[in-house]
Amino acid sequence: MSVQDKKAIEVRGFLQLDQVFKKRNWPVPLLIDLEKPITGIELAEKLEIPIDEIEIIFVNGFAQSLHCIIQPGDRVAFVPPGCPGPYRMALGFYSKNQENKFSFTLKDKKEEQ
Amino acid sequence: MDKFIRVDMTTKQIATLDVPEKYAGLAGRALTSNFVADEVKPTCHPLGKNNKLIFAPGLLSGTTAAQSGRLSVGGKSPLTGTIKESNTGGTFSQKMAKMGIKALVIEGMPAEDKFYVIKIGMNGVVIDDAPAEIIGGCGNYKAIEVLNAKYGPKVGIALAGPAGEYRLPTANISFKDPEDHLRSAGRGGLGALMGSKKVKAVVIDDTGAPLSVPLAKPEEFKAAAKVFSQALLKHPVTGQALAAYGTDVLINIVNEAGGLPARNFTSGRIDFNDKISGETMNATITERGGEGKVSHGCHAGCIMRCSQWYPDQDGKYITSGFEYETVWALGADAGIQDLDDIAYLDRAMDDVGVDSIDVSVAIATAMEGGLIPWGDGKAALDIVKQIAVPTPLGRILGGGTAIVGKLCGLFRVPVVKDQAIPAYDPRSIKGIGLTYATTTMGADHTAGYAIATNVLKIGGYVDPLKKEGQVELSRNLQIATAAVDSTGMCLFIAFAILDIPEGFNALVDMINARYGLSLTADDVTALGKSVLKVERAFNAAAGFSNAHDRLPEFFEYEPCPPHNAVWDFTPEEIDEVYNF
Ligand code: SF4
Repeated sequence: MSVQDKKAIEVRGFLQLDQVFKKRNWPVPLLIDLEKPITGIELAEKLEIPIDEIEIIFVNGFAQSLHCIIQPGDRVAFVPPGCPGPYRMALGFYSKNQENKFSFTLKDKKEEQ
Repeated sequence: MDKFIRVDMTTKQIATLDVPEKYAGLAGRALTSNFVADEVKPTCHPLGKNNKLIFAPGLLSGTTAAQSGRLSVGGKSPLTGTIKESNTGGTFSQKMAKMGIKALVIEGMPAEDKFYVIKIGMNGVVIDDAPAEIIGGCGNYKAIEVLNAKYGPKVGIALAGPAGEYRLPTANISFKDPEDHLRSAGRGGLGALMGSKKVKAVVIDDTGAPLSVPLAKPEEFKAAAKVFSQALLKHPVTGQALAAYGTDVLINIVNEAGGLPARNFTSGRIDFNDKISGETMNATITERGGEGKVSHGCHAGCIMRCSQWYPDQDGKYITSGFEYETVWALGADAGIQDLDDIAYLDRAMDDVGVDSIDVSVAIATAMEGGLIPWGDGKAALDIVKQIAVPTPLGRILGGGTAIVGKLCGLFRVPVVKDQAIPAYDPRSIKGIGLTYATTTMGADHTAGYAIATNVLKIGGYVDPLKKEGQVELSRNLQIATAAVDSTGMCLFIAFAILDIPEGFNALVDMINARYGLSLTADDVTALGKSVLKVERAFNAAAGFSNAHDRLPEFFEYEPCPPHNAVWDFTPEEIDEVYNF
């Protein structure tokens, strides 16, 4: 069976989402059956992950915005704001995500801006 | 009036001079690199009498500015043969700055086979015989205790560990942190240079020094310093994630991106990342409690606190400053899956005084070469401890990755200019590869780390596997880094000052208020460029050419799973990085 034939997607959560996943007793990775493609936003909603806790998602090893379409068989990871280093740029976080205001300011500090 | 202290180890003469005019506006890396270029013969042997070692605090060190306590250490590198600036935390930089010491130079070489301690106080500099119990294999943790007892608990200490005494190419210079633990000017073997001068330690006592450095415009400084720390505290990287997870937060992220070099750079992803991730490190420290601390600053005034105290199962301190690059090398690259084993190795490397990147990558290389079984943390620890003796095997490992690779007859040896490539595979994260290839320091991820606002425009759109924009990105990261390394600031400020523009302006404002200047952001960029040009000219005179600015050949023909990318920059494209 090729990756494309698989219904399940693999999902991981990093930074604080790692503990959120573990407290829910989800295995690493969490396997979820997908009948049809969905967006990152829809997947986050399905898993009850607040959108403002996500800077980018990885889909099959590439940084993507939450609007990216996830296909059955994909490998997905949710990354909250907080990845340090020039890797934010080198891995494409910035290019995928200039619009996401949650990437650049802490949630509870936003109103101070 | 600031002082320029020169200690001649041949004659034991000490000169406390006014700062030469040409160095008046320089500090940190800008000062160490200009000094080395001016005074060190580029073709000298790094361990011979013509090399010199220089310590210099940054432009803002000694002020109340957050993150300003970093120190630059310079010389010709015993590991790479290039110019070297190695940067560290600890208490040394702020003490130097408060005492008005712009630079400390150690030159010459004693004829006798005997180690010394240089003691710097407000009343002058003396050269003492080194206490016998810290010579000949004494670990750095113990040496700090002995020196604290002799010179007082509050002194700052720079130390050549056993590896430095034996002049091994990976020897670091270890610095006492505020709690008597260790930070390191890790890369490039400057501990061997210190050992070659027969200086076991430099002790600095700022008793009687003013509490802060003089400020030309105190009120303006205070206002800018406040804006600066607020920017750091409200950014998700500097205000939250670094303190919670340390740099090891990158294990999961870089692994997911397929750029985590595994099993001596034969893959870009591992399946046991959860065992060694920053998230797991945080959970382990929290669960074990005791002396463990999730976050800790390497110097007073660090508010981002990326360091931590990692405890054993009984809550007893094992190590601090437990960095992503070390965990990556021992974990992913060498296959050691137990975070405790990795922590004991990190401690042992700090204790013997070696660069925990070069020696950890050398461990993976030694595993590929059959010297140690893959993934065997206990066997690796045994050999690291042998460096203190030193046994022949200990010496080999302390020789670093390039030497181990050669002795094992390998072609897959991840070094540039003989310095080990850290934690980011250049096939899957191409921009970093350009920095590894071209930096004046030998492969070094921190050479292309800082950000100026122009970088966002240039580098905000790069794709990790594509070439477009990468040359400009690497160039501008290296320029900004050279400037930030001259300020005494920790490089991790970079992302707050990129994303929150008033943070960058505040950095420039603080420099202006400290010295009564009117620099602009463009001047800061110009400083970075000038530092790189000086360093590159030194390397050229030392015999380095564009042909040395290349990654190891195997990256060109061994695809890196999961993306199966190869390194495909042409020599002409690589050479464009330094075309400015
Ligand atoms: S953020 Fe980390 S490296 Fe930087 S000054 Fe603080 S503890 Fe040191």
